[in-house]
Amino acid sequence: MLARPLGRFTAAILVPIMLLFTGQALAADGQSRTLDTAHGEIQVPADPQRVVTLYEAALDTTLAVGVEPLGAVATRGGTDVADYIADRAQGVAIVGGPREINLEEVLRQRPDLILASPFLADADYQRLSRIAPTVVPKHDAERPFGDDYWRKESELFADALGRHDRIEAVFEALDQRIERLRQQLSPEGDVRVTLMRWNPQGPIVMSDKVFAGDLLRRLGFVAPEIARTLTSRPHTDMLSLENLGRADGDWLLLATLNAEGRDALAAAQRQPAFQRLEAVRNGHVLTVDGQLWTSAAGPLAAERILDQVEEKMLGEPAADIAAQ
Amino acid sequence: MSAATGSVRFTRGLGFSLLALGVALCASLALGAGDVTPLQVLRWALGDDDGNVGFVVTELRLPRSCVGIVVGAALGVAGNLLQTVTRNPLAEPDLLGVSAASTTAVVIAILLGASVTTLQVWVAVLGAMCGCALVLAAARLRGVGDDPIRLILAGAALKGVLTALVSLVLLVDQRSADEIRFWTIGALAGRGYGELLGVAAPLLLGVLLVAYLSRPLAALALGERVASGLGHRPRLTRWLTLLAVALLSGVAVALAGPIAFFGLVVPVLARALVGPDIRRTLPLCVLLGPAVLLAADVVARLLVRPSELPLGVVTAVIGAPVLVAVVRAHRLPRL
Repeated sequence: MLARPLGRFTAAILVPIMLLFTGQALAADGQSRTLDTAHGEIQVPADPQRVVTLYEAALDTTLAVGVEPLGAVATRGGTDVADYIADRAQGVAIVGGPREINLEEVLRQRPDLILASPFLADADYQRLSRIAPTVVPKHDAERPFGDDYWRKESELFADALGRHDRIEAVFEALDQRIERLRQQLSPEGDVRVTLMRWNPQGPIVMSDKVFAGDLLRRLGFVAPEIARTLTSRPHTDMLSLENLGRADGDWLLLATLNAEGRDALAAAQRQPAFQRLEAVRNGHVLTVDGQLWTSAAGPLAAERILDQVEEKMLGEPAADIAAQ
Repeated sequence: MSAATGSVRFTRGLGFSLLALGVALCASLALGAGDVTPLQVLRWALGDDDGNVGFVVTELRLPRSCVGIVVGAALGVAGNLLQTVTRNPLAEPDLLGVSAASTTAVVIAILLGASVTTLQVWVAVLGAMCGCALVLAAARLRGVGDDPIRLILAGAALKGVLTALVSLVLLVDQRSADEIRFWTIGALAGRGYGELLGVAAPLLLGVLLVAYLSRPLAALALGERVASGLGHRPRLTRWLTLLAVALLSGVAVALAGPIAFFGLVVPVLARALVGPDIRRTLPLCVLLGPAVLLAADVVARLLVRPSELPLGVVTAVIGAPVLVAVVRAHRLPRL
């Protein structure tokens, strides 16, 4: 008879495929936990072993709570994970960039948990959630960078990994460090700090609600008004050079995605309008790594940013500060 | 039309263009995205010294206006030359892919490690030359050169290929992406005397070539035989014209990035004022080009205060309808 071998053959192909798509259901045998995500309540395995992160903040959080993910996406403007986290993420496979996910690479990792960005497209969610439970943090479309937004994301990811206590401890330590630094840096809360990206036609000023800006605000620094009044956007439009004064402050942090931060600084310094800024005249200009300061988020990135603030802004200006 | 009325028309056109340039220059100095108002500028000009107003006018608005004048004149003249030599009223450095070729050369140079700020203008000129050679090759294909719209289509195809190439570079080399992305739109902000000095040599060469070319080109407009009979060499004239176009568009691209449709609008205006003779339209383009460019730049500064729009966006919005109008005109004028 022909039917039986054919049936066996079909089963041999179908069963692994069905297993793949029902991994979620199998894990749910009393050992799963329920999470409240942007796509409703979902079940995640109690102790996920094969984690893929599709969001820089998810990679950061995962490593911060002591879980080694299998796959992650490259940072903005790069082909690998961000430099600041590269040491810790050495064995991690790259499964796409910040804008496009390579589904085949994700599938190849056979994940049992996927941690994704709050801005993940619905179509991508539909596909990913058939591979493994996919955790998408909620976000408010009106105010996507509301109070503690990145902490809430990190907490959700940590919950998904079953490491709730770890993330609480991490944030507690972080808050203590921020408070200590605030006492030293801006105890009166009146030091004005601007975080911007320089373009030849004019700079873009980063919001004080998005990750690095939020950290600076908690350190007691005040962002310029054009950055404080942003609600739904991560940065201003390109500011006219005539209005550069509106971005002035006691300190100017120039973020650049180019490895050659000095090039960006040199370009800025050729601009007479830049030379007139108070921060520039006082030699209070720092170049910072744009991958870390304008693209990343999460507890490890926060610690690294605080390291740099401590190193460069406490005490005498360091040697690489542009005081020319 | 008799010689006398033609000359009157030319004088009138010249006067109008000078006036337009004067108004545009004043607007460019008086208006901006910042808080310095025309009234403050006027007071400053009358001697009421305020450090801030003086700074905004002399260090920000004046340098970018000077760059605007050079770019506008270069693109206006380049468009006029290109239209004459291809005998095509739609020809224009951007539409024919000359600017795109220049941009591509610059982007490849950036990919190979150059920086936008230190870039040699000759890279842009060389790219524009390659673009010109391709345009001429396309114009000489049977049936393409005779039909204005077909030549534009050939240019659009070239531009499409080159734009795709630039996109590819942006995808492959993301580190350069930010630097290139803002530059490929075209803008005047942040440009100044240093950049002008950098393009002085090719600009001067281009101007000398144009001065020499106006007579042979006018003769060529009467037909190859007439031109040969008058002692000009049509083939040499064509090549030299394209060299001038390459120099001028290269200068414009190096200064401000690619600016769409601009070389089309200005010669159309000039011909409307003084008729088709290139000896009359060329000087008009030198004046009208900067006038239109400065006006567009003022619009770019005012629309989204306190930010600015890239100039390339504004010229495209102004220029595209002109292209449609020229194509839709009852009969395309043959040049």
